[in-house]
Amino acid sequence: MSDRPSRLTFEAVEKSVLATLTPASRRYWAAVGLLGLGVLVGAGCWAYQIAVGVGVAGMNNPVAWGTYLINFVFWVGIAHSGTLISAILHLMRASWRNPIARAAETMTVFAVCVAGLFPFIHLGRAWMVYYMLPVPNQRHLWQNFQSPLMFDVVAISTYLAVSSLFWYTGMLPDLAIVRDHSKGAKKRIFTFLSLGWTGAHEQWRHYTRAYLFFAALATPLVISVHSVVSWDFALGVVPGWHTTIFAPYFVAGAIHSGLAMVLTLMIPLRKIFRYERIITIEVLENVAKTIIFTGLIVAFAYGTEFFMAWYSQNPVEMEVFRYRLTGDYAPGFWIMVMCNTVAPLVFFVKSARRSTRVLFTVSILVNIGMWFERFVIIITSVSRDFIPHAWGRYAPTWVEFGIMLGSFCLFFFLFIVFVKHMPSVSMTEMKEMLQEGGGHD
Amino acid sequence: MTDARTVLGVFPDEKSAVSAVWALKKTPWTVKTVYSPVPSPEMAAALPVRPSRVGYFTLVGGILGFFLGFALAAYTSLQWKLIVGGKPVVALVPFFIVGFEFTILFAVIGNVAGLIHQMKLPDYKALKNRDPRCTGRHFGVAAVCPGADVDKLTEFLQQKGAETRMMP
Repeated sequence: MSDRPSRLTFEAVEKSVLATLTPASRRYWAAVGLLGLGVLVGAGCWAYQIAVGVGVAGMNNPVAWGTYLINFVFWVGIAHSGTLISAILHLMRASWRNPIARAAETMTVFAVCVAGLFPFIHLGRAWMVYYMLPVPNQRHLWQNFQSPLMFDVVAISTYLAVSSLFWYTGMLPDLAIVRDHSKGAKKRIFTFLSLGWTGAHEQWRHYTRAYLFFAALATPLVISVHSVVSWDFALGVVPGWHTTIFAPYFVAGAIHSGLAMVLTLMIPLRKIFRYERIITIEVLENVAKTIIFTGLIVAFAYGTEFFMAWYSQNPVEMEVFRYRLTGDYAPGFWIMVMCNTVAPLVFFVKSARRSTRVLFTVSILVNIGMWFERFVIIITSVSRDFIPHAWGRYAPTWVEFGIMLGSFCLFFFLFIVFVKHMPSVSMTEMKEMLQEGGGHD
Repeated sequence: MTDARTVLGVFPDEKSAVSAVWALKKTPWTVKTVYSPVPSPEMAAALPVRPSRVGYFTLVGGILGFFLGFALAAYTSLQWKLIVGGKPVVALVPFFIVGFEFTILFAVIGNVAGLIHQMKLPDYKALKNRDPRCTGRHFGVAAVCPGADVDKLTEFLQQKGAETRMMP
């Protein structure tokens, strides 16, 4: 007897997705509570830092950029593959991305929200954030728009606004479906949120056009945002940072980490919500194949950095890279190499790509590796600057660990609250895929 | 038509709805609107659909955004004519980056504004005049006829495979 599931239908898609919006179990609320507790721990640590001063973090001369900016770059990177999946693959008409597009977009929005907190935290005096905003002020001072840090303010704000609007616009037809299957207060909420969507051909005419423009605009944006993040480093004359390879290197790394996070989120989601017929193993396999590609680009970038340091014969540059390889933070470097470039090679084996356990394990390893990549880039360069007697070391304090824990809990908290209360799979895009005959058999 | 009436036919699939629209075009009655759970190229081909004008809003937003971003960077820089990093006070390359980000931001804002304007959202009144099944899997065809033809139009749609009802 064949164990192949019967072909998906519009009703089956709706039934599967709407079933996830039923009242949650106690275990779900326990998980929400636990993550909420983690958020409170992070918030408490931040409050402590505000009360006592940023000196409670481990940052000092010469390492003035610590885990806060590592986490900032990490979360911005995580955000990127959501846009890759929702926008770039949409433009390429890769319909396999439809089942995971909504969750990936959601990941993008929440990851950018979490990333956006870290510059505030890093500031120490968070209430002085308006120094970064171009508002008329009595000091008659304005921002320096030649600085990559100001590029970053503009780019990240734009990215948050664009990805949020893209996400909400993409949800409109699905919100209408939930509205039409609800009663009482839930119906009123979804009626309000769906803005009166009826599916009239006039609406589709404008909607499909606008969605295409969204995708076309989000594509250069996503590339520019992580390029701008890389220029925070590359435009500084710090050994290990001042290199032209940084923009493509960061963009590839961002997509690498984001795809890994997609797997980390999708595999439990698929299991818990019984989405096996929608998020098929072929979809996960395609993500794994893309991870092989981005992993190889990242490996090439790692190699190129070392080659450029050696080829320049610049003693400072060579020392920084020797230090990465064998110095105080060498374990971080080797974790980075093994997790980001070696572990994904297992996906060359088809059976590994089709095993959710292997996929999940490798995705966690890549997440860890990509966090360490940012650690290695930031810390090793500034701790071994030009003048040997100014060298120093850095270690995060419990406050930084607490805030980092809080950031991860906040991200997962927002995500699980979303997936239980909003359609976590785009029913409309799934139907489009089925309509075009591209559905899963 | 002063006594015009609208009949909504709800079809179980796209094929029969598209076929009904093509058939309606050969009658004196007119198709008022069509409801579908997904965008349908076949339906778009059967209807007199003009290209959406959302793109104009997007374009205007993008152009405004670029000049706004560049002007903001240039204006603020000119308030204190300080040479930074050996670059001119109005430095083209870095300010182009600010202009680029503003281009995307305002193009998207224009896109959303265009969408809201063209689709006339929010439009909660429209919810009264449709069949909720049409966000699920059914396709709805609303056709207009003189009051005297209501029965004929209803029968016509039913013969094409629709469930029918009068629309207000």
